[in-house]
Amino acid sequence: MKFEIAVRNGRRFRLAVARTSQGVWIGWPGGAKYFGPERAEAAAAGAAQAEVRAPMTGRVVAVPVLSGQTVLAGEVLVILQAMKMEYRLTAPGPGVVDTIHCAPGEMVDLGAVLVTMAPVPEPEAATVASPARARPRRRARQR
Amino acid sequence: MKVLVANRGEIACRILKTLREMGIPSVAVHSDGDGDALHVDLADEVAALAAPSGYLDAPLLIETARRLSADAVHPGYGFLSQSAPFAEACRAAGLTFIGPSPEAMRLLGDKRGARRTAEECGLPVIPGASECDTLESARRAAYAIGYPVLIKAAGGGGGKGMRLVGDDGALAEAFAAARREAEVAFADPRLLVEKYLAPARHVEAQILGDGREAVALGERECSLQRRYQKVIEEAPSPGIPESTRRALLDAAVTLARKAKYASAGTVEFLVGPGGEHFFLEVNTRLQVEHPVTELLTGVDIVAAQVELALGGRLPEPPTPRGHAIEARLNAEDPHRGFLPSSGPVLMLDWPSRPWLRVDSGIRQGQEVRPDYDPLLAKLIAWGASREQARRRLVEALRDLTLLGVATNQAFLIQVLESEEFRRGETYTSTLEARRWPLPEVPAEAVAAARRALATRPAEGAGDGGVAADRHSPWQEPDGSGRLVP
Repeated sequence: MKFEIAVRNGRRFRLAVARTSQGVWIGWPGGAKYFGPERAEAAAAGAAQAEVRAPMTGRVVAVPVLSGQTVLAGEVLVILQAMKMEYRLTAPGPGVVDTIHCAPGEMVDLGAVLVTMAPVPEPEAATVASPARARPRRRARQR
Repeated sequence: MKVLVANRGEIACRILKTLREMGIPSVAVHSDGDGDALHVDLADEVAALAAPSGYLDAPLLIETARRLSADAVHPGYGFLSQSAPFAEACRAAGLTFIGPSPEAMRLLGDKRGARRTAEECGLPVIPGASECDTLESARRAAYAIGYPVLIKAAGGGGGKGMRLVGDDGALAEAFAAARREAEVAFADPRLLVEKYLAPARHVEAQILGDGREAVALGERECSLQRRYQKVIEEAPSPGIPESTRRALLDAAVTLARKAKYASAGTVEFLVGPGGEHFFLEVNTRLQVEHPVTELLTGVDIVAAQVELALGGRLPEPPTPRGHAIEARLNAEDPHRGFLPSSGPVLMLDWPSRPWLRVDSGIRQGQEVRPDYDPLLAKLIAWGASREQARRRLVEALRDLTLLGVATNQAFLIQVLESEEFRRGETYTSTLEARRWPLPEVPAEAVAAARRALATRPAEGAGDGGVAADRHSPWQEPDGSGRLVP
């Protein structure tokens, strides 16, 4: 943990630096960001196998799907609760629920794999390529 | 007199500081895993509560207060602060509840009771139905007033148990979710349905009552919200006519007198673009944004609550002076749907500058946990003019360093610097009505990250002494953790 001084156009400003075991947090006047290590292989693996991961640490409220079930894009896979608000993880595209790795009542960590998806058997069906993101229930109104 | 503060985070810290200033001994409580929290160190005595939900455990809190010979309980906001049964149980146990009487809470604090009381006082009330405990009754109410409607928890605020419903097809799921949230947040699943009005300003009156008389300490505008939770609050309101301001404050005092209100409270209104206004609800407790009024009036609202709970008389209402703006620093990522973040606070440096107040509930090294509200701290700036207060708050937010947990720091600056805010065109829909671009990451920050990552940290731990990155909110959902941009 340390402060560094940067200079742009002759004007000085402060950067804050804090390492974690894998990456580093950098703060600048008015903002901060985490920078993780380059991990190209993880990105490639993510594309090959559709894993629905927890976008935050929280508690699983409900898993309204069963393994083996075919779901449509946008269908709710997992309801998570953190800081007293509920968030829905939805299917990013049509697919089959392969494995469910969590159960209602369980605490899950950020990044934990909650559901593994498999492509829909029909050859014409769109494959599930990107993982679900949690979306607030009122997303329609947010944008 | 000894006071148990039945809360955590910034509000427990703020209350404990005033108690110490008043020379009143204090007791802090903390749940499992919250023992390292900042508020624990600000009290004379401390007691542990089992489980993360300990702050909602009324019998345990009362037993703890008696065991440590406390005479009074300050509930803060959230948790049990608006629970009439808790206030009653305190009274039955011989403890002074620092807040209004259970009777006044039933008349005003309960959203259902408040609607009835406001109607009796002749206040304009927002169209809606206050008894919607079944999906069928909610559906009938929504049909009668017309979509879009808001489902609200009868037992509390803060955006929990609240859902905007655009049409009948979305009602069932929203109803079930609101019920679950209300149960978790307030131990009270009762719901009500109201017409959703937009565009509208959210304006509220701060009141103090001593059971006989009541005064208003002026209004606050809290229109800027996301997910029905306020983000930026200010006083005075930048955009309501003087006649509306007068009418709101008078209505608030009328309600307080009617309920023989004996504490601090807040009466909330929605104000349309033409100044037309509707009563919304009463918060029978200390409000998150109370410091805005404190900076304008010089009244310590927590001290006033304590004095009024002991039977004191009302202070003379001072003339408000200047302008104050508050920004809520939350552990959340505004650019990922305001998802909450948690993790260890690796580095923390609060701004310190003239005309700035920081009400914080965290310290360096502490873990921000997913069990509680995402509010980390409030930054409040005062200025002789609105523009001066705005500039001071922006500079304060630029001075702030908080690493380890994603926050809305950059978003707050964006909002305060936006044309809408500068012009005072602030409505409840403003924040969610448009996209807020991702903040620019300075090239110097990226370069510093590359330099830091080029040298491996000590085996098994980073600078913060954290063994793993399990809690750090950096990972994108795809797990790639790529160096961006």
